[in-house]
Amino acid sequence: MIEFQNVSFAYENGDHAGQLHNINFTIPDGQVVLLCGESGCGKTTLTRLLNGLIPSYYEGRLEGSVFIDGKSIVEKPLYEIASLTGSVFQNPRSQFFAVDTNSELAFGCENLGIAENEIIARMKRTVAELHIETLMDRSIFALSGGEKQKIACASAAMMEPEVFVLDEPSSNLDIKSIRELAEVITLWKNQGKTILIAEHRLSYLMDLADRVLYMKDGQIENDFSIADFRKIPPDEISRMGLRSLYPVTFHNHHTFTAKNKDEIILSDFRFAYAESLVLKVEHLVIPQGSIVGVIGNNGAGKTTFARCLCGLEKKASGAITIKGKTYLRKKRLNQCYMVMQNPSHQLFTEDVLDEVLLSMDGDEEENRPIAEKILSDLNLTPFTERHPMSLSGGQQQRVAVASAVASGREIMIFDEPTSGLDFRHMEEVANVLRKLQKAGKTLFIITHDPELIERCCDYFIFIENGEVSWHGGWNLQNKQQLELFFGPQRKRR
Amino acid sequence: MSWELLSASKKSKGVTLDPRTKLIVLITICFLVLGGEGGGLALVTKPMLTAIPILLLFCFGKKKAALVCVIIYVTCYLGEQFVVPVTTGATNFVLLFLCGFISRVLPGLAMGYYTVRTTTVSELVAAMQRIHLTEKLIIPLSVMFRFFPTVGEEYHAIGDAMRMRGIRFGGKKTVKMLEYRFVPMMICSIKIGEELSAAALTRGLGAPVRRTNICKIGFKALDIVLITFCAVLFILTILRKIGLLGVLA
Repeated sequence: MIEFQNVSFAYENGDHAGQLHNINFTIPDGQVVLLCGESGCGKTTLTRLLNGLIPSYYEGRLEGSVFIDGKSIVEKPLYEIASLTGSVFQNPRSQFFAVDTNSELAFGCENLGIAENEIIARMKRTVAELHIETLMDRSIFALSGGEKQKIACASAAMMEPEVFVLDEPSSNLDIKSIRELAEVITLWKNQGKTILIAEHRLSYLMDLADRVLYMKDGQIENDFSIADFRKIPPDEISRMGLRSLYPVTFHNHHTFTAKNKDEIILSDFRFAYAESLVLKVEHLVIPQGSIVGVIGNNGAGKTTFARCLCGLEKKASGAITIKGKTYLRKKRLNQCYMVMQNPSHQLFTEDVLDEVLLSMDGDEEENRPIAEKILSDLNLTPFTERHPMSLSGGQQQRVAVASAVASGREIMIFDEPTSGLDFRHMEEVANVLRKLQKAGKTLFIITHDPELIERCCDYFIFIENGEVSWHGGWNLQNKQQLELFFGPQRKRR
Repeated sequence: MSWELLSASKKSKGVTLDPRTKLIVLITICFLVLGGEGGGLALVTKPMLTAIPILLLFCFGKKKAALVCVIIYVTCYLGEQFVVPVTTGATNFVLLFLCGFISRVLPGLAMGYYTVRTTTVSELVAAMQRIHLTEKLIIPLSVMFRFFPTVGEEYHAIGDAMRMRGIRFGGKKTVKMLEYRFVPMMICSIKIGEELSAAALTRGLGAPVRRTNICKIGFKALDIVLITFCAVLFILTILRKIGLLGVLA
């Protein structure tokens, strides 16, 4: 049983986001609880209290108490809580400690000094339960995000805790991996574990959760049973700042209306890695000025496709023809711009204005007004003098977009622009994308987010095994294919 | 990715050595081949010490690399022995430098490469625990090895972004390239480091109990042969140094 009694918390740095005010609730054994709410509402803070990272690792002012099975965990050291609560975090890249999968699974148990034989026995059991036989004995750096997240779940399960805390575990996963994550949670539920999941993506949990806690401004505003929660109409869910409860159905409204009939032609894209062909696109015609959703499972070649498009893969062949002009790889580096999943990788200067000016040729003083105009178009004016690294992820993303616009690129590529975003921020991104489209840019969006697709994409490329298996605009057939891909039941291999 | 140090897969082929043995051989090679004197005894011991990593590489499945090492080493060795004495002037100097340098550095490099490619971090940690190093040293070291690939990934991602923005040698802002590369890399690495620590702490890192380790390491026949061999070489060298081995020197 988990109990929160009059818990309030404020981070030491005085940050308003993530504070908690007077939290009270009890979770009985074996219940699966979904914790939802907008970014900054305090979801993550609450999970940190349960796994002991607050107050031991993240410092701040804490009042009230937290109990697991009647024992207060607030004063306990982290290594004691470690055997009570198993944690899975958002970022698959930064939660494993070993370099190979076997050591990773053993890591937690080794820390607690559990005997070697017992660890091996547990490992056998966990591997069988989670069906991860094929992942064992491998370098973790060679795994996909979904596979890493499975290893993270297995590592948590190895310590055999009674409580699991998951903090946005699906943020970086594709549809297939999310289904597999749901299977793991189902397994734990059937084992009678108590589970708390903080999440933005809700649809995969609708058949799993027993109860929903809705948080707002650091307080629990509502405590729903899952049946009541599912009855809330979609408009109300959006108003609450939540993502859709059900798999998206695409009743699209925006058919593409090109001002001119210009086309972008991709021809003979090939890329081989370690002697096997991982990308092969022979001939592909895309209406210029469209927002192209690049869809497919992880590992199908979407990222490779994007990197070849940008000209980042030196050994890839292929040419793009825009308005009758053909660009080979090197020239594409100046024609395409990729907004990366982690925009901190592409911001270099000391303030936001400099960042935009860096992308512009010619005299800085002459460019300044143009740069300021671009920033105000993207609602970045208040941050002009801030250091890009001090901004939030979404703001950094917009700065990256601003610098792309400033450099006058025709083609822009977005790598998972809405992963881990709540409803409001996702809509903001969709607005930015539509603005860019109005300005005449052609956009390629690599995404697993059906809600984003429904909001702004008007053309699709579906990539499977390194090849384009279908492409086209919104028509009945494509709509069905999309619904099948993002739909709830179907399991794809 | 070339940054994956100490990430050997467990199914490594051929002979397996204890990590401690690998370190002892590495140290021996560094002392006696890289640093040792020439002539006398060294004429025999140096080629023998060179043969060890090359054989190990061969058994590990790096046949091409082993062969290249043999060719380079033999060329340099013969060059040093026979060609250098008959040349004069600048040619002599360049040859002496090249042959001497390569034949001294190559064995150490080969052994280092072999060690890094065939040892996993867990094996290394287990070995360090066996020789009773303090956890205060072991944990930072294992974190360091865990971090190399991450820093590598960050480095490449930032490099891509720089190329895309036209920041390159001879392009825009050449002078600032270092700053542009390293500031984001440090910030991203610190962030990852923070999350990593949090994840490790929730899994009991730092508990005041003796850590167990499922990694099986231990000395086998080959380990003992190699260690004895290294020890003998060290003793001989010391004896020679203090002049007790006049006959061979």
